[in-house]
Amino acid sequence: MTGRGQVRFEDIVKMHGEFSALKGVSFDIEPGEFFALLGPSGSGKSTTLRILAGLDAPTSGRVFIDGRDITATDARDRDIAMVFQSYALYPHMSVYENIAFPLEMAKLPVAEIDVAVKDAARKVKIEHLLDRKPGQLSGGQQQRCALARAIVRKARLFLLDEPLSNLDAKLRMETRAELKKLQRSLGVTAVYVTHDQEEAMTLADRMAVFMAGEIQQVGRPAEIFAKPNSIDVAAFIGSPPMNLLPARLADGDVIIAGHRLKTAMQAAGERDVVVGIRPGALRIAPDGLKARVELIEDLGDTKVLDLDCAGTAMRIRVGDESVPPEGAVISIAARPQDIHLFDPATRRRL
Amino acid sequence: MKPATATAGIATGTAASDLGRVLAQRERRFAAALLAPAFMALLATTTFPLLFLIGTSAFRMDLAMPFADGFVGLENYRTLLTDDRFWSSLLVSLVYTGATVVLQVALGLALALLVMDMKRGQGWFRVVAILPVVLSPAVVGMIWRTFMLAPEFGIVDYLAINAGLGSKNWLGDPLLAMISVIVIHTWQWTPFAFMVLLASLASLPEDIYEAARLDRASAWQRFRRITLPLLRPAIVMVVIMRTMVALTAFAAIFTVTGGGPGTATEILNLYAYRKSFTELSIGYGSALAVALLIVTLLISGVLFALRRAK
Repeated sequence: MTGRGQVRFEDIVKMHGEFSALKGVSFDIEPGEFFALLGPSGSGKSTTLRILAGLDAPTSGRVFIDGRDITATDARDRDIAMVFQSYALYPHMSVYENIAFPLEMAKLPVAEIDVAVKDAARKVKIEHLLDRKPGQLSGGQQQRCALARAIVRKARLFLLDEPLSNLDAKLRMETRAELKKLQRSLGVTAVYVTHDQEEAMTLADRMAVFMAGEIQQVGRPAEIFAKPNSIDVAAFIGSPPMNLLPARLADGDVIIAGHRLKTAMQAAGERDVVVGIRPGALRIAPDGLKARVELIEDLGDTKVLDLDCAGTAMRIRVGDESVPPEGAVISIAARPQDIHLFDPATRRRL
Repeated sequence: MKPATATAGIATGTAASDLGRVLAQRERRFAAALLAPAFMALLATTTFPLLFLIGTSAFRMDLAMPFADGFVGLENYRTLLTDDRFWSSLLVSLVYTGATVVLQVALGLALALLVMDMKRGQGWFRVVAILPVVLSPAVVGMIWRTFMLAPEFGIVDYLAINAGLGSKNWLGDPLLAMISVIVIHTWQWTPFAFMVLLASLASLPEDIYEAARLDRASAWQRFRRITLPLLRPAIVMVVIMRTMVALTAFAAIFTVTGGGPGTATEILNLYAYRKSFTELSIGYGSALAVALLIVTLLISGVLFALRRAK
C-alpha cells in the first residue's frame, strides 16, 4: 500500500468555452483514503473526477498519481477503475462478461480471469446473477455489477461518480455501509463524487466541498461540520441546514433582534456579521431570543420546529422533551462555542 | 340471504360478459368493414398478379407463336433447369447482390463512424449523402452512362486516362461492365446504409465507451467488442433490406448496360424481362420470375433466421 493511489491536483482549470467549470483546483489524496468530492450540481466535482480519470483534459494545471505527472496520459494507461452514475454496463454482455472485460483487455489467462470474476462477484454478492444480461437486473444489482467490474482489476485508484443516486432510499443506506466496508477491506484509494452531504459525511475519511468551480474547504467531515469556513459551506453541510441570520457584533456579543448572545469571540468594537447556529445546537431556555413556533416537523426520534424570530426564519431541533405547541412563543439560546460568525462581505469565517 | 346475493352476482356477471362479447363482435365487424377496401386493393394489386404469374408459368404463352399456346404443366421449369442462361443470370444476380450489399454495409459503416466524430457539418453531410437515394435508379443509370463512364468524356474515364491507365471501355468489357453496375448500385444505396447505421451509432450511450477506455480497451477493441455487437441488429436489418432490393434490381442495369455486353450483367430479373417482353415468351418469362421469387424468399428466410439466431 506504500504510496499506491496517491493523488495530487495542482491548480487545475477547466474552461468550457467562456465558462470556467473549474477555477484552479488543488488538493491531495493520501493512499488508502476514502475521499469525497461534495458539492451541489454544477459545482465542478464531476468535472474534477473526469479529469482525474483522464476522460476530460484540463485547460491548465497538472495531475499527479503516485508522484508521476499523468496530465497528458491517456485514460487507458492510468490504471484507474470507475463506477459510473449510469453504471455504464455493456448491454450486450452477461454480468460475467462485463466483469471479465477489463481482465480480458489486460490479456490475463482465462483460468485466472474466471477466478477473479467469481471472487469479485462474491464480494458484491451477485455470484448467482453471472449469466444474466444487465437489462434483466434491478437497479441495485446493476450497481453491484458495476462495482464488481471496477474492483476486479485491483486498480490503484477507484473512482465513484454518484454511484448511489439511482437507488431508492433504503437500498442506498445499505449499499453505503457495504461500500465503506468493501473499500476498507480492499485498502484501495477511493474518490467519491456526491451531492448528498449525508453520504459524504458517513463515507469519507476526508472530503472537499465544491462551490461554483472552486474548493471551499478540505478536511475531515466532522471538522468541516464543526468549523465550516464560509457561509456557503455552512449552509450546505448539515440537515436541516444551519440557521444563518444577519446580526451586529459588539464587544464579543452578537445582537439579534435586540437580544444579546455571548460568543466565543474576543473582539472589541462593532461590526456587521452573519451568525450561524446549527438547529441541533439551539435549545429552549428560560432566557433568550424570543421566537414563535410556526410549524412542527416530527421526524420520529427528534422534532424540527420552524420558528419565526422577528421576521427571520429559524429552525431548532429538539428531542422528546416538552415540545411547545404551534403558535407558542418560546425563548431560545445557544452556547457561545456553538455560535459561528461569518463576514457578510467576504462570506468567510471570522 | 347471502347465497341469493351471490347467485344474483354471478348472473349479472354472466350478462355483463355476454354484453362484452356482443360488443367485441360488433367492433370486430366494423373494423373488418373499414379494412376491406384497403384489403381488396392489396389483393387486386399484389396477390392476384402473383397468383396469375404462377398460373401463367404453367402455360406455354408465346406471343410470337400464339398457335402453339397451351397448358404445359411444369415443362417451363424443366426447361429452366437445363437453361445455361438461367444459371448464368442467377450467378450474376448473386454476385451483384453479394458485392453490392457487402460494399454498402462496409462503406456505410465506415462513413457513419467517420461522421460520428465530425464536430461540425454533420447536418450538411447527411443532406448531401442522402441525395443519391432520392434519385430514380433509371436517372442514376443515365447519369453514369453519359457523364461518368462515357469513353474520353466521362469523368471516370477522364480520371483513368490522367492516372495513366488509359481509356477503358467501361461498359463494353464484361468484367468492367459488371464492376461498373456494382459501383453504380453501391454509389446510389450506400447512403441508406450510412443513414441507418449513423442513427443507430448515435443512439449508443457515450458512457459505455468511457467505461471501456478505463477498462483499457483500445480503439479497435472498442469497435470489435462494443460497437459491432451493439450495431448488429441494425446491420442485419440493412443487409436484409438491401439484399431484397438488390436481388430485384432492374432499372439502373437496364439503362446502363441493358444486361450486356452479351449477358455479362444480365441479372435474373433482366433475363425474365427480356424473355417476356423482348422474345415475347410470357410463359417461360413467368417461370423465370417465379424462380427469382423463390430465390429471394429462400435468401431472406436464411437472413431472418440468422437475425433470430443470437
